Amino acid sequence: MEHILINPLTRISGFLQIEATINNGVIEDARNSGFLFRGFEKILLNRSPFDSVYFTQRICGICSAAHSMASSLALEDALSIIPSEQGKILRDIVHGCEFLQNHIRHFYQYTVPDYVRLPEKFPLFDTVGNDFRLSPEQTEAISNHYFDSLKVGMQTHEMLAVLGGKAPHNHGIFIGGVTVRPTTDNVIHMKSLLSVIRDFVDNKMVSDMGVIANAYQDYFHLGGGCGNLLSYGCFQGYDSLGTLYLQPCIMTDGVKQPFDARNITESIDYAWYSGKDSYEPFETVSEPDMQKQKAYSWIKAPRYLGKPFEVGPLARQILCGCYENHVSAMDRIVARVYETHKIIEILTVLLDQVVPGVETQNRYELPLRAKGMGLIDTTRGALGHWMKINEGKIAFYQIITPSVWNFSTRDGQTQGPSELSLIGTPIHDTYNPVEIGRILRSFDPCVSCATHVLCPGNETKVYQVVS
Amino acid sequence: MNGYENLTECLMREVRDRFSVSCKPDINLVWLELTGCSGNIISLLDGSQPNFTFLITHMIRFIYNNSLMAAEGNAAMQKLKSVVATPYILAVEGAVATANDGYYNIIGQMDGKPLTALAALKMLGERAKSVIAVGACASHGGISSAFPNPAHCVGIQDVLTRKVIQLPGCPCHPDWFVGTLAYLLLYGEPELDRMNRPVMFYAHTIHDRCERRSLFDRGVFAQKLGDGGCMFKLGCRGPVTRIDCPVRKWNGRTNWPVGASTPCIGCAQFGFPDKMEPFISYDTTK
Repeated sequence: MEHILINPLTRISGFLQIEATINNGVIEDARNSGFLFRGFEKILLNRSPFDSVYFTQRICGICSAAHSMASSLALEDALSIIPSEQGKILRDIVHGCEFLQNHIRHFYQYTVPDYVRLPEKFPLFDTVGNDFRLSPEQTEAISNHYFDSLKVGMQTHEMLAVLGGKAPHNHGIFIGGVTVRPTTDNVIHMKSLLSVIRDFVDNKMVSDMGVIANAYQDYFHLGGGCGNLLSYGCFQGYDSLGTLYLQPCIMTDGVKQPFDARNITESIDYAWYSGKDSYEPFETVSEPDMQKQKAYSWIKAPRYLGKPFEVGPLARQILCGCYENHVSAMDRIVARVYETHKIIEILTVLLDQVVPGVETQNRYELPLRAKGMGLIDTTRGALGHWMKINEGKIAFYQIITPSVWNFSTRDGQTQGPSELSLIGTPIHDTYNPVEIGRILRSFDPCVSCATHVLCPGNETKVYQVVS
Repeated sequence: MNGYENLTECLMREVRDRFSVSCKPDINLVWLELTGCSGNIISLLDGSQPNFTFLITHMIRFIYNNSLMAAEGNAAMQKLKSVVATPYILAVEGAVATANDGYYNIIGQMDGKPLTALAALKMLGERAKSVIAVGACASHGGISSAFPNPAHCVGIQDVLTRKVIQLPGCPCHPDWFVGTLAYLLLYGEPELDRMNRPVMFYAHTIHDRCERRSLFDRGVFAQKLGDGGCMFKLGCRGPVTRIDCPVRKWNGRTNWPVGASTPCIGCAQFGFPDKMEPFISYDTTK
């Protein structure tokens, strides 16, 4: 019996510690300690509800527009505002740009260094990894694309800023749509950038993914799923266009079903919180409690009908019928790249719908008391904001992020998707267990706001990952 | 255009010329992420002139960053440990969580023990050639220290005795960081104001150089987001926020918050967010 501890797991957003128990060369148990607790739900109390759109973006620097989407939707629900078709389209264009930004950077900056030996002259790329399988020609080509992708990643944010004002942390997405009244030159600016991005994705990113998937085919059999997939839906519900991507739905054991928000609960059995063990999102926000003996993470355990669910690009691709129902580390990477292409197609359609000069803003009045829910599938999966307003102030705010679904702690019955994905994985070299990082990064974890706390009385003998 | 913009342009030209000749930068850069959103390293990747590739190829040996480095686990920690004996510049994003002796924020496991952000900062901060606080959280606590500040977050200057160059902003614009770094490498410390912000970026208020300033002067005010008037009556913090957004703009000079017909929320000013809220108000003045 051996223990492996990896901390930090780099090339993710935020910090994550992995502890794995190895028996006969195979992972027998795993605990992923991630920390999303910065107390945002507490910090938001008594602030202006309108401020939540800009405030909650600061939860995450790589997926900030996602939070402005969820927060705007929650406010619209609370204020009984239905955005116009143009408002929806414009807002989804900004959100789509974030998908491109996130997926391109996740693939090249976060994933590629796991599989491709990047130029050694850069100390940033020093690695003790020794499982690099590409030919020198393939390595050189993808290394060059790593640097090309930096420029393209920048252009995705440039495209976002046309209607968003700036990125990260945009100003454009708001109740009703976006703040910018788009001009024809805005639209052509975005179309021009999109054609450059499309060229890169279709001609370089897709083939680079193919090269990696081909050389590391064993990863189609590692990092499997929990059997359950969920999406809140995105790029859907347009009056004129219908569904461009996916309506809210779930899949369990291969059977697709409609989604019902009333089936979401969250539990805190093994997370550093005290309060009610299991609750609905509008019910309560748990209090932090670091003294809890069996807890090992700040990440709570969201459940749908009591079960853990995987969320993200692969879940969406399977749910919309674009991808075979096969879940693994490499399938997640492949699906994310396919989805990048899909989002480009969607943006192409949406940009053609924009009516120059259209206005989507009003002066909004706050109700005395109200509550609202904003559910939306974002780059990493299902994101939910639940807000209550009392006397013009935020009285309650609950946030469940996609990485909380994927990196959820265990409950009385089962573990979360990311821990389950590690169990059963053969580790070739316990001193250099590259399999763990590759599997976990395939989820694109966003554990920003790292607040890493020791679990008292829980010392284990560990082998560190050594150089 | 005033003297500082011209200076910045000249500086960038000189950086390009000088650094492109010398392909072997000899100073290391460590970029720590502490309690924050990692949005400043993403913003750095958004830099265009110079861009990230230029930065790591011609300006500095970028050694350590959690989001971008290939190494993980102990190999990553050993890189951090070994840099202490070399000449290096330390950039920090995120606030320092001081609650519970820093144990609210552990950035890795070093020599069998958890390395708190607080300890890492003390280990690296005093010996660095320069320390740059990148973004609002590192400069003064930012969003991470917003009331009631559950993790007892502070800016990094509060836990270091040496001078820290402050680059507040949420996030920090890539040019503010790269321009400051370029000045440090070429000439040493840039001129700083009394809050230790580089004067070349933080000399003027947004209001002074806002593209909608003439609308303010004529009393043409926006009534809602998206209107073409001055954003003052919706709660714009441009009059109290010193930074060059109106002339530099964001994401390759594409746009900026007022350009998107929204108020400045004062993200580059000390006191953000608590002293800058409400960000949007439909009834500040009638």
